[in-house]
Amino acid sequence: MTKVLIVVGERPQQKSVLLEALRRFRDQGASIGIVGDVDSDALALDPGLADVRALPAEPADPRLRRALARIPQPSRALWLRAWADPWTRRWVRTADVLVALDSTAVHAVWEMAQRQPRADACNGIGAAGRIVRARQEGTHRVARPASERLSARAGIVVRGARRAAVTGARESLEAAMAPAVLRSRIGGRLWRSAVAAPGLPERVRVALAYRVHLRSVQAGRPSLAAATTAAAADRIGGRKSRADLLSREAAGELDLGQVPVCLTEAVAAELALADELLPRQKARAAKSLYKAMRLLFHRVPHFDQLSSPLAERPAEFLAPLRASATARALATPRGRATPAATPAADRPLRLLLMTNGNAHFLQEIKQRYAETPGVELRYLHLADDPVAAPLTRNPAGIVEHLVAGQSEYGNRVEEWLRPHVDWADTLFVDWCVAAAAMTTLVDPGDTRVVMRLHSFEAFSYWPHLIDFSRVDDLVFVSDHLRDLTCEVVPALTGEQAPRLHVIPNAMDLRRFDRPKAPSARFALGLIGTSAVAKDPRWAIEVLRRLRADDERYRLMLVGGGLDPKASESVRRYQAALSADLAELEPSGAVIRIGHVDDVPGVLSDLGVILSSSVRESFHCALVEGAASGAVPVVRDWPFFAGRETGARTLFPADWVVGTPAEAAERIRAATASEDVWRAEGAAAAGHATKTWDWSVVQHDFDELFLPGGRG
Amino acid sequence: MQSRLPPLAALTLAGRRRPRRGARPHVIYLAIGFPPAAKSSAYRMRETANQFAAAGWDVTVITLADESWEREYGLDHTLSEGVDPRIVIERLTLARADLETDIRAFSEARSLHPQQWIEQQRRQELQTFPEPVFGGWRPELEKAVLRVHRDHAADLLMTTCAPYVNLAATWRLWQEYRVPYVVDFRDGWSVDVIGGGAAFAKDSPAGRWEEKVLAEARAVWCVNEPIADFYRERYPTLRDRVRVVRNGYDEDCVPGSTHRADPAAGLTFGYLGSINFSPALLDSVLTAWRMARREHPLLAKSRFEVRGHIGAGALREANAHMELLRAAAGDSVEFGGPLAKAEVAAAYGRWDALVLMLVGGRFVTSGKVYEYAASGLPVVSAHEIDHDAATVLAGHPLWTGAVGLDPRRLADSFAVAARLAVEATDEQRAAARAHARRYTRRAQLAPAVAEATAVVTGAAATGHGSDGTSIEGGQA
Repeated sequence: MTKVLIVVGERPQQKSVLLEALRRFRDQGASIGIVGDVDSDALALDPGLADVRALPAEPADPRLRRALARIPQPSRALWLRAWADPWTRRWVRTADVLVALDSTAVHAVWEMAQRQPRADACNGIGAAGRIVRARQEGTHRVARPASERLSARAGIVVRGARRAAVTGARESLEAAMAPAVLRSRIGGRLWRSAVAAPGLPERVRVALAYRVHLRSVQAGRPSLAAATTAAAADRIGGRKSRADLLSREAAGELDLGQVPVCLTEAVAAELALADELLPRQKARAAKSLYKAMRLLFHRVPHFDQLSSPLAERPAEFLAPLRASATARALATPRGRATPAATPAADRPLRLLLMTNGNAHFLQEIKQRYAETPGVELRYLHLADDPVAAPLTRNPAGIVEHLVAGQSEYGNRVEEWLRPHVDWADTLFVDWCVAAAAMTTLVDPGDTRVVMRLHSFEAFSYWPHLIDFSRVDDLVFVSDHLRDLTCEVVPALTGEQAPRLHVIPNAMDLRRFDRPKAPSARFALGLIGTSAVAKDPRWAIEVLRRLRADDERYRLMLVGGGLDPKASESVRRYQAALSADLAELEPSGAVIRIGHVDDVPGVLSDLGVILSSSVRESFHCALVEGAASGAVPVVRDWPFFAGRETGARTLFPADWVVGTPAEAAERIRAATASEDVWRAEGAAAAGHATKTWDWSVVQHDFDELFLPGGRG
Repeated sequence: MQSRLPPLAALTLAGRRRPRRGARPHVIYLAIGFPPAAKSSAYRMRETANQFAAAGWDVTVITLADESWEREYGLDHTLSEGVDPRIVIERLTLARADLETDIRAFSEARSLHPQQWIEQQRRQELQTFPEPVFGGWRPELEKAVLRVHRDHAADLLMTTCAPYVNLAATWRLWQEYRVPYVVDFRDGWSVDVIGGGAAFAKDSPAGRWEEKVLAEARAVWCVNEPIADFYRERYPTLRDRVRVVRNGYDEDCVPGSTHRADPAAGLTFGYLGSINFSPALLDSVLTAWRMARREHPLLAKSRFEVRGHIGAGALREANAHMELLRAAAGDSVEFGGPLAKAEVAAAYGRWDALVLMLVGGRFVTSGKVYEYAASGLPVVSAHEIDHDAATVLAGHPLWTGAVGLDPRRLADSFAVAARLAVEATDEQRAAARAHARRYTRRAQLAPAVAEATAVVTGAAATGHGSDGTSIEGGQA
């Protein structure tokens, strides 16, 4: 019997091919072992087809863990993990055919082959198939001299010694890049010169520049990091090497929670590579473009900090994208073959609501049109659809389709979406994210397409992946989001742009009208604290100022907290917030309430509702608080503070403050007495309900979905 | 670009040229991919060599050893059966290192970084000749042509590209012995046949090589008019020496008649050829096939048989295309591996309709389109609308037309082809075969070989081989 050991280093790309090969091997009488980073459940192997050995990602042996931490190459790490495993060693000793299923597994098979001279060692399941068949047919010939075994054993010893020497040299190099060295003027100059030395092999220059760059950032010398990279990049001829270095450095800094010092340069280098590839290799060009977009719209610069370069200087920030031919190919409007048709009058209007985001903002809309005569409603959350859900997780597929004009991904979307589009008269996609981008990959026929953009999307790459020439109407929830998005996405102002609308979020505000106890007067509330953008530390600063004079004030933080694992910058914010809380919670000055379902109940205990965010599109929780009779205090959201539209144009002027001191002042005045507080709260509640309650806003949606009063 | 020679002028053999071994002129044919290599270009090479032999030439073919092709698409010994036995074949032990699958042959560095190792190799190859993958073969190819010439003096070097590194050996023989040469450029080099336009600039290393070698060529053959026009425009002095030699089809590859479709049993659609287009294109066709099967009961009980070579090296029959085909097994899509040349006619004979999947656009014709056209079967076109295959198929009575690669439109093409397969009359099938008759490979190559012969022998180019073979008129 032929024993075949297959080593897997990456998630198998060709699952059906692998399963077919395994079945064939079995039919040819082979026994099969599979080892590596393999998920047997995901492979859905028939029982008895193969012995599968998944290597633990975190080995129990501390020595092995330390060794792995020092190894940069995944292929080498896979070998060490495999050889530390007794099951694998037993298989190697008796294997006839060793197979690398992917390029990461090649080194492990190479090392195994040195230790098992009898076995064939091959790259790829196709090559393995030919060997297994030849062995079965008796036509396989191996001609390996005995001397090869001896040299293999000697090679193992020699390589071990050489590797130890290289490790020693690398550790010396790391020591020479210690923060103290890089902080010194001489040390910095030395390394900057070293990476720019003429005649240095490109591979060495790139590796060295990367290390010096990151160490300089860690040592608090971003200017040295930038200068080092610039010096190295000047000496690198190939666009790919240059892009790889700059992108890797940027990714390294993002991992450190920093906005990369060379972010613009990294994006420009990646886009230059994309443009070079575009005429002949569109799929590869698309990959580079996607890489650039992921850097440009990474969460660290836009979501995990209290400012965003996109909000501060959108034109400058997006300039590399505007200049790229590949990005222009991505943004080329494809239009639609036929305009949206007037729905048939002899049957109900078919309205399809679709989203792959938070469905919270659709509740009232769903309920209204489910009950409206003359409307047949369908609702589709893509996360619930087994075909669509994985499609929403593949933005790279969308980019490839848009750049190349055809793709497997696009075909899957067409197959899945077409029946839904054919059914609907009007398709409403909530959130301008994956579902929206997928929708515009498909020519909608004569179906009317309506979309809604809330807030965070404007700071992401999603609107750049939507072909707005296939959208009839785009809804924003506020003027300032419309204005910023139009500045960021040129397709919204061009000839083929959709009609733009501003319609507030759909909220049933009357349910918040509940009595408040007198004790609520000194209770400040902040609802929603799960993002850095909510900036709860600003609210704490307001509280500190109030409590300096009056310790009756307290702050309730409602909702789930931050996820420090999201990024290093979130972790840093969380650490600072934790220090604040450690100081203020024991005295009861701050009370954390986790997630609650009964928001009206919580609001009845609050006398003041805060919006401390750096950016919001509308801030429903603030408006709900105002509707409950709490006094609204809104920070002039800094992302929009210098613009024509923002918190000051959305809310009554007296609600909005510029600083914690102004906030404290407003709160003191509004809570000066119970009568004043109740009067202020009642006025706010009146304004909120009169302006934003669903009974008012629903008419805007009727006008959008049922123009001319249909239904 | 200055040529010192008038187009196709008769030669005065002089200078350092070596004496002829016999009365027959000798052509060295640099044809990497000659049979038994299972490559699509092997058909054209075989016919070219056979026609030279038939025209009274001693022919020495330089290609690679059989083992080298095992790394790529393998061997088809039935192809060799049709090679004129008078042809001498020199096999070089060159092989593509990037397609090696024996990990024992890898260095440790390659095992650690397989992709980077290949990229490094390619950079080194470019130092030798500006063609990745093959550039490193230059010294061996140069030595081989010089060795063959010294052993048996050549009157003509016929060189066919790709690989383009052949041009270096061609140039070397010209430099040392002034052996005249004809370049069968097929798809050209500096023309980007996929994206259109120029693939590289004139002043790039590749551009300088191309200009230099073509300047002295007696003739430059291309597979279609758009490529020929590209070269006439790029090198105006070459205008009169560029000619179109279409690939055409071998008459023994098409059946004399087609079988009757049996709608009750379902139809069989077939694809035959290298699967060298993008996975996205294949996926568009498979998506269209699924859509068409959902919509048409006849297609729901039909099969789609795919035959040909998929992938090379470690990815041979284990790449993204293969994954798509295996995953489509539930939709009655079957992959049966490559077909030997001798089995081709039988396959067309049992299929009811064909699916023509092609890369590129107006610069690409392909070889299989001629066979498809001559088969007398309905043809579904899955390629860009502006494609040279559409030029060949225009007027074909059983062609469903070029609709691009949109799955929705391709699904409609499948439905039309199914209807044609069931309803086509004998007259329509005969008309389809007649439509393609002008594209026989012999007819395409004969005038070109006759012209090349005239270059050396001074004989007037005619449509007849010296062994009396009647040759139909070709297309310029």
